[in-house]
Amino acid sequence: MAVPVVSVRGLEVTFVGAGRPLTAVRGISFDVAAGEVLGIVGESGSGKSVTSLALTGLLGPNARVRGQISLAGIDVIAADAETLRLMRGRDVGMVFQDPATTLNPVFPVGRQITEGQIAHGTLRPERAPARAAALLREVDVPDPAARISQFPHQFSGGMRQRAVIAMAMAGHPRLIIADEPTTALDVTVQAQVLAVLARRQRETKAAVILITHDLGVIAEVADRVAVMYAGRIVETGPVAEIFRAPRHPYTAALLRSLPRIDADEARLSTIPGQPPHLGRLAGGCSFRPRCPLGQARDICASDPPEHDGVACHFPGEALATLPRPAPSKKPEAQTGSPLLEVADLRVEFPIRTGLLRRQSGTVRAVSGVSLSVWPGETLGLVGESGCGKTTTGRAIMGLIRPTSGSIRFAGQEIGGLPRGAMRRLRRDMQYVFQDPYSSLNPIRTAGEIVAEPLRIHGLHAEMGGDAYVAGLFDRVGLPRATMSRFPREFSGGQRQRIGIARALALQPKLLILDEPVAALDVSIQAQIVNLLKDLQRELGLAYIFIAHDLAVVHHIADRVAVMYLGRIVEESDKATLYARPLHPYTRSLLSAVPLPDPAARGGGRRIILEGDIPSPARPPSGCAFHPRCFRASPLCATDVPAFAAHATLPSLVACHHPMEAAP
Amino acid sequence: MIAYILRRLAQFIPVLLLASLGIWAMIYAVPGSPIGALVGENATPEQIAAITIRLGLDQPILVQYWRWLLAALHGDLGHSIQSREPVLDLIATRIPATLQLGLAATLVGLLVGIPVAVASALKPNSLLDRALSGWSALALGVPTFWLGILLILLFAVHLHWLPSASAYFPLISDPIPALTNLALPALTLGLYISGIFSRFLRAALLGELHADYVRTARSKGLRERDVIGRHVMRNAMLPFVTIVGLSLANFIGGTVITEAVFTYPGLGRLLIQAIGVRDYPLIQGCILFILAIYITINLLVDVLYAYIDPRIDYH
Repeated sequence: MAVPVVSVRGLEVTFVGAGRPLTAVRGISFDVAAGEVLGIVGESGSGKSVTSLALTGLLGPNARVRGQISLAGIDVIAADAETLRLMRGRDVGMVFQDPATTLNPVFPVGRQITEGQIAHGTLRPERAPARAAALLREVDVPDPAARISQFPHQFSGGMRQRAVIAMAMAGHPRLIIADEPTTALDVTVQAQVLAVLARRQRETKAAVILITHDLGVIAEVADRVAVMYAGRIVETGPVAEIFRAPRHPYTAALLRSLPRIDADEARLSTIPGQPPHLGRLAGGCSFRPRCPLGQARDICASDPPEHDGVACHFPGEALATLPRPAPSKKPEAQTGSPLLEVADLRVEFPIRTGLLRRQSGTVRAVSGVSLSVWPGETLGLVGESGCGKTTTGRAIMGLIRPTSGSIRFAGQEIGGLPRGAMRRLRRDMQYVFQDPYSSLNPIRTAGEIVAEPLRIHGLHAEMGGDAYVAGLFDRVGLPRATMSRFPREFSGGQRQRIGIARALALQPKLLILDEPVAALDVSIQAQIVNLLKDLQRELGLAYIFIAHDLAVVHHIADRVAVMYLGRIVEESDKATLYARPLHPYTRSLLSAVPLPDPAARGGGRRIILEGDIPSPARPPSGCAFHPRCFRASPLCATDVPAFAAHATLPSLVACHHPMEAAP
Repeated sequence: MIAYILRRLAQFIPVLLLASLGIWAMIYAVPGSPIGALVGENATPEQIAAITIRLGLDQPILVQYWRWLLAALHGDLGHSIQSREPVLDLIATRIPATLQLGLAATLVGLLVGIPVAVASALKPNSLLDRALSGWSALALGVPTFWLGILLILLFAVHLHWLPSASAYFPLISDPIPALTNLALPALTLGLYISGIFSRFLRAALLGELHADYVRTARSKGLRERDVIGRHVMRNAMLPFVTIVGLSLANFIGGTVITEAVFTYPGLGRLLIQAIGVRDYPLIQGCILFILAIYITINLLVDVLYAYIDPRIDYH
């Protein structure tokens, strides 16, 4: 290997503050060479983002950094502030997670792209607009000359992230650090942005450190992988080896807990317990409390394992813990009548403008959705942001008033029900929200939160009072002792369990789950998904599972409906939809999911869609997907395709030119 | 934007109408009458009755209000009971004085408050930050009338640099006397408000310092002073202009004490005098003008928002 662009030895980062010092990074070493992509993967709190900030000298004054960091010949830890400032932008560029907040909202995008170069004196201000336009062109932003004077809010999420990449690349840095660069993006947009990042990296021969929690993204773009756990690198190696034969039990467990669209497993393996709290690490190996190998072995409790490619005392045994997935059983045929029947649901919001607040337009959030859910089954409702899946869920729940359409629950039309009857019906239908951090009242105890629906409906005593609530805690796997604690004392996964217990309190027949695992770490996500499957089997619940993550939906759903711009474009049973997608949108959506398998890289399976999801205020004519569709004909621009049954497959599809039924 | 401003201006009319009715009701809810002050102690009941009829005070309250309203809609706010001069003329002489003092005091507040806030925010919890926080607390804590008297003692009585009583001179035609007369009242009010400005801006700056775009700006290799001075400042300005606008609006009607200390001919003092003698038309006129200026300043602040933050788009 040539001289590495960045070389890290024994890096330690400790935060000092009011409480005890907290060591977030505990002695890590790695090199990245020019043209190489190092993927750093880990769950929240593993120290991966702190590492990236340490590399660039951007940690706050309360951080104590030890070890050695050599970046483009600069000793980062010893260097003064001005040397580090000059290094940033010139030798190292950064791409951050959320493009909605990484750009300053009050300045034009073009100015933000070039201001680093101007500050470095490598670009004269009068040449900045031309340079900004050129940089935007290099990341495939259409019409760059006009775009440079626009503000970040006038860019879509994917365009913003391209602008951030252009900004990071502006000074021709030798190292790019991308910290969760696509986590906030939709899957089709993620595919575009990853492609741009990879191309620019090839063109500039820059070294790249890609930090992510998403093993699929790692498998897609990394050359080498470093797996971090509790502030340490527990395993490093070439990407193919890590995925094929992980040597650390944590790596193996992480791979195993991932739902995949290319496998069919009845149940996800989970990593028991929670990621460790950095202030309370046990001696020995910090993974031991959750490790299947180290439980009964004294050496794992006493000695921290040395790191030589893998930080484990028993590196040969991890692979044996990778199970062969048991295939899931065929779903039982739908019997009887549906629990929920939605027909031609529409939800529209007026846009009012002008002096007299006249309605000048309409946002068609949901434009004609029909779906059915049978008792005991899971309908997956998938789509990208803005497709109307959440609005559909909320309209069914009665949280948003539908503009038109019919919603029948257990044979009864909900639309015209009087208030009291609607309240009684609500008991049978409950909602679980995405964000477990903001959907629980912070000043109520967990027990009060779970009991609240009972009290609202006046059923607390009738259902069995506190003993019943305690039973709900058992049911979702929370210790009864936690009933008197407040939400802030729980981890994300535990909070979501509280949310589920609250939804179960009234013994509903249908749960609407709105992205219930999207905010959780991979290992915790698997725990919640398994819990939901268990509850469904035990209680005979029906689920509407709203999600953008096709792999999670593949794992949990019996049937899947794909939404695009307020309409369902395809619906089928899970096996058919994933194996033989008919709608070009479904096909590209599936192809855009990064597979956690480096062997599947390339191979031309990916369809990268052009452009962004249009605004529901101005949906395209005809088939709303036609401007991005690779099969569109003139017919598609004029005629809305009917949502109709396919000739041979058990699928419904709204497309003039469906894909061949053969895979 | 134009439509937005027009719509906001249209909202003025009901607000002012309701306010005028409210003021009228309040005037009659408090005991007292303008007659006593007008005729003196030795007036006969006949004289009082004659004046009551002349002023229309014998009519039912709603009739009085209706008459006033009709005249007001024709641009006539009536005459002062006390001085018999048109209310509009009386107010018109005071408005430039009041605006000039309010703007000057706000300027002093900004000139002191912004540097204090930036210096504090650059090194939070440092010795300098704590010293400056102490300064802000002092500025807020000292009563303005007392600070005004201290300033008069120092600059007028001892040093003879500035007049002790401040008259109004238009800044444009008479800049020198205008500045010497404005200096002490503007300093008094400005120092006080600088305490509020600096505290508010410091908090806004510190809040913005944790935003993601600040990390981005640093990662590009910008100098720290550009990170704060350009990126952070512009975003922190949004909540800050609200406070500046509110305090400026407040100065228009609420600087009575300072005006009294410096015998400055402002709108606030006119209003207090009018209330003292129950000069109903003058009270009504003063409050309506103060209200109108207040609403206008708030509208200007909202328009300024759109200039500062491109995301704000008024339709």
